[in-house]
Amino acid sequence: MKARKVKGLDPDGPLVANMQRVIEVRIEELFGFVPAALDPVHVEELHDMRIAAKRLRYLLELSQPLFGQPARKAAKVVKDLQDLLGEIHDCDELMPLVDGHVAEMRTADAATVVAAAAPGADDLDPALVKDAPNRSRYRGLELLMVHARARRDLLHARFVTEWGELEERGFREELEAALRPVEPPPEGE
Amino acid sequence: MAKARDIPGIEPDATFREAAASAIEVRADEVFSFRDRALDTSDIEGVHDMRVATRRLRAVMEIFAVCFPKEQHRRALKEVKELADTLGERRDPDVMIDGLEAVARSLSPADRSGIRHLERSLRDEQAEANERLAAMLDRIDRYRLRERLVALAAEARLG
Repeated sequence: MKARKVKGLDPDGPLVANMQRVIEVRIEELFGFVPAALDPVHVEELHDMRIAAKRLRYLLELSQPLFGQPARKAAKVVKDLQDLLGEIHDCDELMPLVDGHVAEMRTADAATVVAAAAPGADDLDPALVKDAPNRSRYRGLELLMVHARARRDLLHARFVTEWGELEERGFREELEAALRPVEPPPEGE
Repeated sequence: MAKARDIPGIEPDATFREAAASAIEVRADEVFSFRDRALDTSDIEGVHDMRVATRRLRAVMEIFAVCFPKEQHRRALKEVKELADTLGERRDPDVMIDGLEAVARSLSPADRSGIRHLERSLRDEQAEANERLAAMLDRIDRYRLRERLVALAAEARLG
């Protein structure tokens, strides 16, 4: 996902003001994936939200010397969110991989079974399938798919709950409030 | 995972450009500090640390993009992205194999065989990814990416 362009950055301007501008846009970007990402079918939006969380997290981590403890805390929350979305993404990557692997085994088995048919046979003898080379491998891979599907469902439900809690506690406002520069210590200290 | 180094130029009274120069210097140095461990397949943390460092470098290159000469920045960022992708192809199977292992352990030996078969196929892909990573590291050395990143920092400072 391409990051939204941040307008009005000034290389010769103060770091704090420029960082505030970038972070504001990245906050906007992250929150822009809701409500779509709350629907488990929106795989792409969930993936893009993870990328948006990662961008915001790195910015907040980088900005800690400017914005202090609130930025540190916000970075931790965003990192947890990114990690959870990452676990969901891992399931979304694993399932097509297993599907592809099973399809390859099926193709190889079918080729072996058809090659074992009697020359000139009108139809395939069902008994030949018991010698398919991958026959003992399918069940474990199906169970792996069941695990990935179930884990994905559970993690997404957790994401919906945790996002709801973040919204309820005013996380966006917390993030925006984290952009106040650290006050220098009073004179003489 | 290695912790990100502090960047001395990220200070409240700094300009955007001063911070950009420091950030790219520190993050580039971090990336290359993991270079020699990245190809060691017995040490899965080496490639992971280099990948994370590359992501952090990419992040600062994107955040501070306006501070760098456009064309040099565009080329260097493209190479950093390619490096990140190649490190990802090498690292992702480690994570996937870990996940497969966890499921396999909970199954009967008979049910594990399909998962072991998939693991072997992932390890083959990983070996190929390691070769691509070796070629990529060789390429970034030949094209002096590190030196060009240091030069970008110097250009940012000059303005």
